[in-house]
Amino acid sequence: MRLNPSAEARDPVPVLGIAATPLVAESDAVLDELVFDAVSRALREAGIRKQEVGLSVTASLDIYDGRSISSGLTNAASGGYLAQSYRIEGDAGQAVVAAAQTIAAGDADLAVAVGVYNPEVSAPDRRAFLQQISNHGFEPHFDRPVAMSGETVLGLHAGRVVDSGDLTEEQLALIAAAAITRGSTRERSARTTAVSAADVLASVRVNGVLRELMLPAEATGAVAVVLGSLARARRALHPRAVLTGWGQATADTTASGQWLVDPAVAARRASLEAYDRAGLAEPAEQVGAAELTAATPALLAPTVDALGLAKSATELCPSGGVASCFPGVANGALRLLEAVEWLEGNGGRAVAHATDLLTGPVAETATVLVAEGI
Amino acid sequence: MTQPTITTQHVHWDLDYDVHLGATWGRFMHGLIERKILANRCPECSRVFVPPQAYCESCFVRTDEWLELPPEGAVEAFTVAWHGFRGGPTPPYAIAGIRLDGASTLLMHFVRGLDLSDPDAVRAQLPTGSRVRAVWAEERTGQILDIAHFEKV
Amino acid sequence: MASRAVIAGVGITPATSPRKQTSSSVELVQQAVWGALEHAGASPSSLDGVVIGNIDGFEGTVLGAKHLVRRLGLGAELPVSILNTGGTTGGNLMQVAARQVRSGDRQRVLCIGGPTFFGARDLQAAINTNSPMIVEQPLGMGAYHMGAFYPSAYQDRFGASVADFAVSAVQDHEHAARNPYAHLRNTLTIDDVVTAKPLSSPMTMAMVCPVSTSANALLVTSQQAAVTLRPTPVLIRAMATSSDPYLGGGKNDFAAMENLAILAQKVYQLADVRNPREEIDVVEVFCPYAPMQPMQLEALGFAPPGGGIGLIRSGATRIDGDLPVNLSGGPLCTNAGVAGELAPYVYVALQLMGDAPEAMQVPDARRGLAHGTGGTFFQFENLAILERQERS
Repeated sequence: MRLNPSAEARDPVPVLGIAATPLVAESDAVLDELVFDAVSRALREAGIRKQEVGLSVTASLDIYDGRSISSGLTNAASGGYLAQSYRIEGDAGQAVVAAAQTIAAGDADLAVAVGVYNPEVSAPDRRAFLQQISNHGFEPHFDRPVAMSGETVLGLHAGRVVDSGDLTEEQLALIAAAAITRGSTRERSARTTAVSAADVLASVRVNGVLRELMLPAEATGAVAVVLGSLARARRALHPRAVLTGWGQATADTTASGQWLVDPAVAARRASLEAYDRAGLAEPAEQVGAAELTAATPALLAPTVDALGLAKSATELCPSGGVASCFPGVANGALRLLEAVEWLEGNGGRAVAHATDLLTGPVAETATVLVAEGI
Repeated sequence: MTQPTITTQHVHWDLDYDVHLGATWGRFMHGLIERKILANRCPECSRVFVPPQAYCESCFVRTDEWLELPPEGAVEAFTVAWHGFRGGPTPPYAIAGIRLDGASTLLMHFVRGLDLSDPDAVRAQLPTGSRVRAVWAEERTGQILDIAHFEKV
Repeated sequence: MASRAVIAGVGITPATSPRKQTSSSVELVQQAVWGALEHAGASPSSLDGVVIGNIDGFEGTVLGAKHLVRRLGLGAELPVSILNTGGTTGGNLMQVAARQVRSGDRQRVLCIGGPTFFGARDLQAAINTNSPMIVEQPLGMGAYHMGAFYPSAYQDRFGASVADFAVSAVQDHEHAARNPYAHLRNTLTIDDVVTAKPLSSPMTMAMVCPVSTSANALLVTSQQAAVTLRPTPVLIRAMATSSDPYLGGGKNDFAAMENLAILAQKVYQLADVRNPREEIDVVEVFCPYAPMQPMQLEALGFAPPGGGIGLIRSGATRIDGDLPVNLSGGPLCTNAGVAGELAPYVYVALQLMGDAPEAMQVPDARRGLAHGTGGTFFQFENLAILERQERS
């Protein structure tokens, strides 16, 4: 096995291990046990011991975790004992970017990024709880009192798309059904039954035109990624892919309305940074698959466009995407895992895109990762 | 006529959680109901953890062996809260870091039976190394306060 | 392309109690941010990133930074990273921004420390949710009880009295009296500290940090991007963090700050500091509880075990001593949450730039040490060595 990343990539960062806990409706485990499970598996796969790791970055949200400073609990499980670590409140894609930056900075040879999501609530209550949390994420004086939530923002956007004639409800349902069906046979999916557009339209109405099956398939668990410098990677057991580019951007807040007319703006900016790092001049030609995060079928086209992949032969969400499995803030790492597995089967280049969906597209931070097969 | 300026607005969190215990702490809590203090051990460094840990943070491996510890140990550090906090116990109360016999970690718990009337006379009552023993609550439901407190032996 | 990171500008607002504060959080942060840009001589459009902290349980908002950042007059396009490592968030901001710059991804990143505690009605209750639930929180262990374990064990080991612990409180207050940005600027005597209301033994109320309201900001740039900026750049020469386990019970010896000592070794090694006492000109340690300071100074290698109080008593750590410590007055005099933990880095940078208020400026400071700590039982530590970079 020879590591030979493209010469155009500015700072290739090999993925030495990447692993997920089972992604289930509700994990019967303390948060840190989930983190330990994912991180220890990823390290074992990489043939690396925790004591060699230079930095651990965790992605989690206190408010899901029911604890202030929940990273105090998960820190040791991420490998942080007597070592460097910190926690980002956002999607795991941000943790991967931070870990990659640290290696590119020469500040560590080995870094761990892990996302964990297991809202401390019992399953029957789940949706109501998650939307209550989402409401808390909105601006407190103007947005919260009028019941703004992630689902409402998504509903507003989808409603506008339908009203403007861009897509009909049936078309939204078709997009959702295709994604769910595509992912239904895969082991990691939360939705394991193939569905038709009619099934989607018949599912519970959640917000505006959005039915339950048009929204992400909630799951819980943890996903961890071990990254290494190119030098160190040559002695790792079995590098799985190489990160050749990464980028991160944040969208505007509620009042501007940008989320309504240009909801994937953060994805666009993040992808420009990522493609620049990766040296990709024509992503539409050069990217074989994209594991992107489109929370509703109405967001698919804007996201594909933002990633520069419109009118391309790029395979979109071979895993079924978030319509098949969405583990909250661990999603960014799951997208990367799916992209890596696609590369192992197909070679070439793949893109992983994720956002923190706490407040829908409002003020979202998106990350884009470009990976190459080995 | 000048209008008064509104400068604050009430913002409230009212969140209820069902926090997952997991198998390791779940087993420990069950032991308490039976008046047992359960601990577990790291297979590599052999440290004994109470409360038990699902993994050793230093060796970074899963713990495997379970054992029962005696309900007695030595005080390594303690403090008296003269000032409490809303929702907390009524002060004054003493909390100690206790090394149960055989444990590598400290268990934090109340110590009762001390005379807390004179702050200057407190330290002498519980010098480092003082032996203490657990006192069980009469009704136990699987939480840390199934041990009501520790007292000097 | 890999590069080095420098601090090229800072902004601070004068601290007050929450009750006396007339500006909102947004306004305070605006002041700090524009203060930093003005100090640096940088335009908002020259920034390419923001790193900010939210300790949600303490703030009444969730990821409030998402909304705050777009109200600062910095445009709507800056990428925002939101950190939360509890109390140590402030110190981590600088380290995260430095890595973004060192990787070559960013040229000018603004770190923002907001007034975390502003608005909490029952701050202690919020802070106490951090106490390990299930196992330690039901024991009535709040933040200052956790803090008290250390001096209690130290007392047992080295025979320190309450009056001994009062020494650093008196000195921090004396320094704060010279800092126009500090919250508590009253001077205290040993007796004032000793006779104050007992809190959690051996601490009295005069030994614990206040709840303050202020904001600050720190501009981290590449060396290249600092060339056209006004202040003398301060190189981030070495930086690292270290963590203990979550449960208090995971410590070994409460009479020493072992995790900090391990971290100090690492950072001194990175900076090639051979004799900390001689090679460091100015220090800001984060000691929200006065008895922690001598213990921290021991862990940082400035005094042997049991020698911390003697060091302070000798006058060496006063503004006119050979190792000035906490010229800002430290968190004992001003603790504004995330802003509180970014403050040590802000003040050391100011000292090294020669831009500190005159009454508190240490002459010829070239190398400084900034420290932060927090989390349950102070499980997290962060540390950095900063160095003045003369322009050629």
